[in-house]
Amino acid sequence: MIIEDRNHLPQELEDIPAEKLQLAGKDNYRDEAFATAPIGFYRDAFRRLRKNKVSMASLIAILVIILLAIVVPEISGYTYVQQNVDQKYLPPKIPGLEKLGIADGTRVMTNRKKSSISDPTRFPEGSVLEIVREYQAGKRIAVDVKVDYYKYCGVPEGVYHWFGTDYLGRDILTRLFRGTRISLLIALLSVVTNLIIGVIYGSVAGYYGGRIDMFLTHFAEVLDGLPYIVVTILFMMLFGAGIVSIVLALTVTGWIGTARLTRAQFYRFKGREYVLSARTMGVPDRRLIFRHILPNTVGPLITRAMIAVPGAIFSESFLAYIGLGIMPPEPSIGILLSSGQSVLLQYPYLTLFPAVLISVLMVAFNMLSNGLRDAMDPNHRGEE
Amino acid sequence: MLKYILGRIGAMLLTIFLVMTLSFWIIRLMPMTIFENPEVSPEVQYKLEERMHLHEPKIVQYYYFLEGIILKGDFGTSVKLRPGMDVFDIIMVRIQPTMVLNFFSLLVSIPLGILAGTVAALRRNTWLDHVISFAIVIFISVPSFVFASLLQYCLTFLWPVFPTLYNAQAPNVWQAFRSMILPITALSLGPIATIARYLRGELIETLSSEYMLLARTKGLTQNEATWSHAFRNSMVPIANTIIPMITGIMGGSLVIEKLFSVPGEGGLLVDSIMAGDHFLTVALLIFYSLISLITILVVDISYGIIDPRIRIGGGK
Amino acid sequence: MAQETILNVRDLRVSFRAYGGTVQAVRGISFDLRRGETVAIVGESGSGKSVTSKAIMGILPSNASVDAGTIMYDGVDLAHAPENVMHDIRGKRIGLVFQDPLSSLNPIMKVGKQITEVLTRKGMDRKQARAKALQLMKDVGIPEAERRINQYPFQFSGGMRQRIVIAIALAGDPEIMICDEPTTALDVTVQAKILELINALKAERSLSVIFITHDLGVVAQMADRICVMYAGKIVEMGTAEEIFLQPAHPYTWALLSSMPDLDTRDRLAAIPGAPPNMIHPPKGDAFAPRNPYALNIDFEEEPPVFRLSETHYAATWLLHPKAAKVDMPESLARRIQRMKEAGGRA
Repeated sequence: MIIEDRNHLPQELEDIPAEKLQLAGKDNYRDEAFATAPIGFYRDAFRRLRKNKVSMASLIAILVIILLAIVVPEISGYTYVQQNVDQKYLPPKIPGLEKLGIADGTRVMTNRKKSSISDPTRFPEGSVLEIVREYQAGKRIAVDVKVDYYKYCGVPEGVYHWFGTDYLGRDILTRLFRGTRISLLIALLSVVTNLIIGVIYGSVAGYYGGRIDMFLTHFAEVLDGLPYIVVTILFMMLFGAGIVSIVLALTVTGWIGTARLTRAQFYRFKGREYVLSARTMGVPDRRLIFRHILPNTVGPLITRAMIAVPGAIFSESFLAYIGLGIMPPEPSIGILLSSGQSVLLQYPYLTLFPAVLISVLMVAFNMLSNGLRDAMDPNHRGEE
Repeated sequence: MLKYILGRIGAMLLTIFLVMTLSFWIIRLMPMTIFENPEVSPEVQYKLEERMHLHEPKIVQYYYFLEGIILKGDFGTSVKLRPGMDVFDIIMVRIQPTMVLNFFSLLVSIPLGILAGTVAALRRNTWLDHVISFAIVIFISVPSFVFASLLQYCLTFLWPVFPTLYNAQAPNVWQAFRSMILPITALSLGPIATIARYLRGELIETLSSEYMLLARTKGLTQNEATWSHAFRNSMVPIANTIIPMITGIMGGSLVIEKLFSVPGEGGLLVDSIMAGDHFLTVALLIFYSLISLITILVVDISYGIIDPRIRIGGGK
Repeated sequence: MAQETILNVRDLRVSFRAYGGTVQAVRGISFDLRRGETVAIVGESGSGKSVTSKAIMGILPSNASVDAGTIMYDGVDLAHAPENVMHDIRGKRIGLVFQDPLSSLNPIMKVGKQITEVLTRKGMDRKQARAKALQLMKDVGIPEAERRINQYPFQFSGGMRQRIVIAIALAGDPEIMICDEPTTALDVTVQAKILELINALKAERSLSVIFITHDLGVVAQMADRICVMYAGKIVEMGTAEEIFLQPAHPYTWALLSSMPDLDTRDRLAAIPGAPPNMIHPPKGDAFAPRNPYALNIDFEEEPPVFRLSETHYAATWLLHPKAAKVDMPESLARRIQRMKEAGGRA
């Protein structure tokens, strides 16, 4: 509405009661305080992470796998080294599921002499379930038979190997979660070691700057130029098989990324006014580093560490595949995968279970670290 | 620009030298005998060892080692796997399948990754983007050897579309290539996803950049602006992912070669490590370093050609 | 001054769909731009001034929409024109200069190409386009244009980059130039030069300019008329003299009082509080909670716009004849007195 002439107001404006046109006074006028309580950075980040369904699902998956890795080897009723040569390559048999025809401990054996299946020394009583196919093979009649492999091997009733057994009759379920334990342990140790070395190295370079920084940065750069696989293989050869060896080999160049990140953060924050003012007030170096600068780098470091975990799990499997894994009979996901791979077409379940587990673990860690990165991104602060 | 290229080459030579040095000292520090063969009499063995300078001080051996490689291309002789054979010759025989595998993976990954990433970014927040983004997470996370097993089991055993193993005696090129399709696929899924993820993020960022807006305010259509500003600019930092990707492909190919019995350097490396044939191992490691460093050099230089900020120097 | 209106904005409303709801960024603004004049739109960040310029150019982000109103230019309603019509208007008829020359130039394209790109696409041959780019670069005051035309943005200083951006905006020989905070990202000394350049170009090319800024000090040297925006509305509009010498709206008072000035010994008055949440704009006058002169009715009803002169309008209940008599703050009055004595604007 435009009032062309202030002295000739339209009726509705003329009618406004006079008290409404009085000053509202100081009561209504205020420098508004922030309505909400301040939320700390990590609480805010965590709140956003919790809203992210994919991240939460990944976190739960990871926690479940960790729990299984701790519990299963203890309560499965087998140990990871327990061998039984009469029970080699037993197929998976899981109580409950067996009635549905999945994981029921059966296997189709191909190209058997037809006469042999009625021979109880070859095929014990009740082990033959069904003749799948009958055909002429050369002079004899051959059959493919579906057998209850547990009975065929003379395994007593009531014995279950949920994920089957391997070439030495060892229980795969137990070995798989024992292996998960080892793989996670390797990942955790290498990530923590890299984090510690990287943060110290990066802090020194970033805080002192100048010549020290130049030397340290150049050194790291040269080291980083070395092909990762070559370095890891070389050091694995030097250290020999074992958990500690793998952790060390993964540390040789693994810390460089963390160091670079820390150094960059130092450069970003050490010039900030609040750090300069603390310094002019005589705050000692160590306190400046730990109280005023490092806390700013924690967010990116957590994200980075989280991304490094699946990387380490992958590297362990990779080393196992090329024969530089941990010492047998100790299992790891990589060891199980690579030994399963060699009999993939005959006994696919030996590959299936570790493959599914490593896939779930890698996807979950990647998703979680994506979620963490988004949640900790200061650009998203305050968003729902 | 010349200065930039010379700098890159210098860095590469330094790295190769470091790899050689590291390899030498690590092998010599290992608590195993380098040369041992029960069928050879001690006298002959001593002579052989002498010929390989094994009785001289380590530092002199190091000198011979470097001199041999740099001046004569002599990487020594195999002592376990193919006793007496020249390591260099062993490598050269098996070079072709490895190069084919790695080269084709790279050749397939880059365009497919770019395509997937571009489609996802331009159709952002549609079902197509969600499907691609989901596939990206799966392919980035799951290791190539798991895919290899899956492909091998499904496509060569359940539905035998492809041969299970590499066919070295294939009657024609197509047959040989067909046996390479699965290994190449297994090796390429991760890199495709890596590029797609990076390009998607980069493109979304440039699409919302100020210079895109400026390009539109000066009268370009959205498509023109997307092509000549957003797309070109997003391609530049792709080099950042291609370098680690190359290393990834080479590492993956070690395992994949073994899984599909490809008679390449990967299988050879695994065998030589297991047999303790150290001269062969070292030569192979240097070979792998050289290949990956040369590829990185090529990427670096093309990066410099594309990005004026590097070519001209200065600026950020 | 020529009086022909070439751009006419009527009751424009623009909103954004955001996480927490719909942000009403522009809530019914009207103004016009006459040929050859400079209209400044002044306001705090978030007042909707940049959104207005993007709406005129038809480059609102995809989550924004024009809810009502028209932007009439040459018989076309820019607020609702299809993309293909906008292509011919953008650059060619209306040019836009952005705030930040660091990020508004493509870092990996030669500046010459960035200037000529649109010309060659619209059919000019390369030689001609290059000659034109050189001329433009000279016009905007870039020395050694022949050499610099083949350089990249990172080889230019901030001020020089902003000149390039201006050259790009002028490449299509537009008749309207919108400058969206063109000097905010620059050093003070460079600022003055860019402002001079804009004024010179305006005179040479008889441009009509919409000048968007948060800085009243800048406006003083540039604008013929000024629109003061607050919370998506124009709260006061008038000639530069009227706004500087007879401000009527308390928000304009506050803006003027917060402006640094060499002679003032009074404390600079900051405006208390923060701009309102535009998802739920307050009832009544949006400025009321921050306004020491707010009337009771300000919290209930939006003020009408009062016409004070042919050119001067203000939306405040204080102008109601029966309203409590309130004068502008004393320090501001003293300041204005001094300005009048100095005889010039500002």
